[in-house]
Amino acid sequence: MDFYYSPRSSGSRTIIMVAKALGLELNKKQLRITEGEHLKPEFLKLNPQHTIPTLVDNGFAIWESRAIAVYLVEKYGKDDSLFPNDPQKRALINQRLYFDMGTLHDSFMKYYYPFIRTGQLGNAENYKKVEAAFEFLDIFLEGQDYVAGSQLTVADIAILSSVSTFEVVEFDISKYPNVARWYANAKKITPGWDENWKGLLQMKTMYEAQKASLK
Amino acid sequence: MSDTKRIVTEFVYCLLLRGGKMSPPVLYYLPPSPPCRSILLLAKMLDIDFELKIVNILEGEQLKPDFVAMNPQHCVPTMNDEGLVLWESRAILSYLVAAYGKSDQLYPTDIRVRALVDQRLQFDLGTLYMRLTDYYFPTMFIGAPLDEGKRAKLAEAVGWLNTILEGRQFSAADHFTIADLTLLVTVSQLEAFEFELRPYKHIRQWLDRCKDHMAPFDYEELNANKANMLADMFKAKMNQSAG
Repeated sequence: MDFYYSPRSSGSRTIIMVAKALGLELNKKQLRITEGEHLKPEFLKLNPQHTIPTLVDNGFAIWESRAIAVYLVEKYGKDDSLFPNDPQKRALINQRLYFDMGTLHDSFMKYYYPFIRTGQLGNAENYKKVEAAFEFLDIFLEGQDYVAGSQLTVADIAILSSVSTFEVVEFDISKYPNVARWYANAKKITPGWDENWKGLLQMKTMYEAQKASLK
Repeated sequence: MSDTKRIVTEFVYCLLLRGGKMSPPVLYYLPPSPPCRSILLLAKMLDIDFELKIVNILEGEQLKPDFVAMNPQHCVPTMNDEGLVLWESRAILSYLVAAYGKSDQLYPTDIRVRALVDQRLQFDLGTLYMRLTDYYFPTMFIGAPLDEGKRAKLAEAVGWLNTILEGRQFSAADHFTIADLTLLVTVSQLEAFEFELRPYKHIRQWLDRCKDHMAPFDYEELNANKANMLADMFKAKMNQSAG
């Protein structure tokens, strides 16, 4: 199973943790986006959108990290605990995955990511969206140990990948007590957390370098 | 037949008609909203008789305490199916097929095909539809000038869809799925906004195919007319800015 990824990418780290939870070995192929390795013809053939992560499983190429995560659980999971078969439970997990994609992770990409790339933060409106995303997540987690139901699921893993990315850029997660409580626990119980953090340290280096260059 | 027996028979019959549900699901929506339109089209395909409740987000109705209590993210569409409160249109689509579909045709259970459907749904949300809203909505809602950089990003996403559709009848399977449904709503909105689709041959062929497929399901009324309504709002704002 070939896995095209970058250790810094949130989606890549999600898949690394999901694979760990499933006991899967990934044949990791790191692509250096900054050097344009994702634009090579052989990669474009696999994924014309040239995004990472991309998984190739016996000739079947799939991208979008949340689609990959669900695919891996459905195909290789020993049970359905990470993505239950029950339609109502599954619906809630899907809702949280779309929240992660379209609201939480998107707010990072619009406010913090430009800083890592160019040294320029997004605008005040973008920052409000970061705060709103965390407020929503805090409400979802009111009285809950997990983001979607009563056990660890792919939704927790995807959101853990996103929330941990905010920690690296010094966003104050402690302002959101339910998120902070969930995050402390998720770090402890999610397989592959160490590798997630290792990838984040690479991002932290880039973040710190940008900060230093502005002084 | 005794009254009691007749009442019980009718009750059981109603339950069977509704897939074992006591009351119809409620959809909180705004008719012109593209994500809401995809739910209405699927409901028509699956014969789901929603209790429809309009939430006028332009007037801030989504911020009323009772709505926020139900959906703290206060967005539409939001569905309440006997206590299961769900938002994010694409999550609602897959749930409705699982709960009300007579087969898995629209959201296949084959693991690979389903993964492709999921990938296309996520491409729509995170790339195509997002870039559409990034480009058009600031002008439409607050009269901001159009941003050429955002138009280029949108064109890039449209190009990716065109490549995905090369050699395919539909976006994810060899038949119409909910991936086509949500992409159809997005692309038809682009068409209504007069985004130039001529260079994208595969999209145009797929679009015609999807429109034909959806014609029996009130496509014109539920989607095309509403897409034009948004386009008219956009053009009015453009004319204001020009004036």
